[in-house]
Amino acid sequence: MAQYQNVATPENGSRKEPHLQPLLLRMARREPGLLLGLVLLVFIFLVALFPGLFTQASPYAVDVNAAMMPPSAGHWFGTDDTGRDLFARVVYGTRITLAICGGSLLISAFFGGLLGLVSGFLGGWVDQALGRLVDVLLSFPPIILGVIITGVLGPATVNLILALSIVYVPVFFRIARAGTLSEKDKTYVEAARSIGISEPTILRRHVTRNVMPLILTQYMILFPLILQIQAALGFLGLGVQPPTPDWGAILEQGKDYILYAPWMSLFPGLAVLLAALSLMLVGRALQRRIDQR
Amino acid sequence: MGKYLVKRLAASLLTAFLASMLVFLLVRLVPGDVVAQMMGQAGGETAANALREFFGLDQPIYMQYLAWLMKVLQGDLGVSWTRGMPVTTMIGQAFLVTLEIGLLTLLVATIIGVPLGILAGIYEGRPLDTAIQSFNILGLAAPVFWVGLMLLVAVSSLFSWSPPLRYVPPTRSLGDNLAILALPILSLGLLQVAAYSQFVRQNVVSALHQEYVRTAIAKGVPVRIIFFKHILRNVLIPIITFMGLILIQILGGVVIIESLFALPGLGRLLLTAIETRDYPVLQGALLIVVVAAMVVNLLVDLAYRLIDPRVRVS
Repeated sequence: MAQYQNVATPENGSRKEPHLQPLLLRMARREPGLLLGLVLLVFIFLVALFPGLFTQASPYAVDVNAAMMPPSAGHWFGTDDTGRDLFARVVYGTRITLAICGGSLLISAFFGGLLGLVSGFLGGWVDQALGRLVDVLLSFPPIILGVIITGVLGPATVNLILALSIVYVPVFFRIARAGTLSEKDKTYVEAARSIGISEPTILRRHVTRNVMPLILTQYMILFPLILQIQAALGFLGLGVQPPTPDWGAILEQGKDYILYAPWMSLFPGLAVLLAALSLMLVGRALQRRIDQR
Repeated sequence: MGKYLVKRLAASLLTAFLASMLVFLLVRLVPGDVVAQMMGQAGGETAANALREFFGLDQPIYMQYLAWLMKVLQGDLGVSWTRGMPVTTMIGQAFLVTLEIGLLTLLVATIIGVPLGILAGIYEGRPLDTAIQSFNILGLAAPVFWVGLMLLVAVSSLFSWSPPLRYVPPTRSLGDNLAILALPILSLGLLQVAAYSQFVRQNVVSALHQEYVRTAIAKGVPVRIIFFKHILRNVLIPIITFMGLILIQILGGVVIIESLFALPGLGRLLLTAIETRDYPVLQGALLIVVVAAMVVNLLVDLAYRLIDPRVRVS
């Protein structure tokens, strides 16, 4: 190796390896929002994956003697009406809340995306019928749709996931359909067709691959919104039921004590805000990339 | 214009019809009806069946739907199963409350959000823009009901004041009415101010980068004239579309805010109807929500066509 070291190549001086540090610095200068969002998001994911690293307390341990204590060194976020440590509840709630929201959104991205792709690709009466159905779903404000479904089916985690999955299917459907419509007349599709590739393969291998980035971006954009809907449904008592430490459920519990123990509502709400904020910052940066393309 | 209007109306009506069918089915597909809830543990099979017959629940679903639809077309939404009042009366009262909240929120959000967005757009990239944009994203990320809760805490600890518990209609006392609605409107408004100002900023920025603006600057046209003639005019049109979006968002947001602040609006009516399985009220309230959203969309579309000749041509 050593013998080559002195050989001067034209790239030697100008080419730089992409180091992590300059990358972060450049990002901080050009897109401070994205950097902040990513840092927050990584932190939130760490909390979701390893809650035990952040707190020793149990989110379920009741201590009636320490009920409704304001935040202190022992209980950073204070305690709730049964003396449970709110910091532990918010920390352990991260995984539950994110899993429910992320999972539901994944289900709607899958079904909405699939239907949108097929609808846009096939056109004709399939497209007409599906488009009509989506119009009907879109005629309800999202939160109201969520309230009806969970309200009618009854408060349970499964129903919550079902409701949250349905709410944004129309949005994914529209995005995927529009993307498919603009892709399907492109030259590469024509070329694929002319060399005898079957329609399902074209849809799967060519069109889908180009529509995927749109769906992924939409996923990031809708994630903060679904977090808020989930929290709202939880707050109305239609979401995850106590004693599970879901953020919305904690907020619902704090509702009755809002003037006596505001910390019961402050911290879980702040958690929703921070999670939504980090996702929004990252989602916006992604959207800008897509728009620039 | 006339042809377009007819087509648009027909599409809206079809969607409303399908939406009403969906609501009707959804409500009835679920186990447990109002009769089961009314009877509780007590009462026998005969009594329950008699009640079901009274409510028409013994009929097949499509018959129930047709009967309901026929009445709706005549402007009769039925009678509440739990309160015995005509549904139209209940919805009429509740709708006025929600409408007041919605319009006042829209007003507040427009008055604050539009200037903020214009400022941010004009000072693109400067500290003021960064500050306004940071406020916007925080406003968008904060859950509406949580903002309401925090406002409640802030107001009661700072001024030791909390809003009256019982709703007062504006016809009885406008002052009391506004005192009750202030916090709900503020908490709903924060999100909308943020959304508004972000939207307006984007439009101002893109207008500023247009070539005719650059030409005007190069020609030495006074800034004031550029602002009013070239920028503001181009920003006003999208704002109208956005107003519609905001109004529909508010319509969704009031459900939680009304339940939080105990306001007898459409949202709370809806929630109570779900809890008590009061189908006529639930169906009626949902129908009104859907129709209201559609009317808003239709008005926005029409306004758009009236104001912007480019839309009419295409």
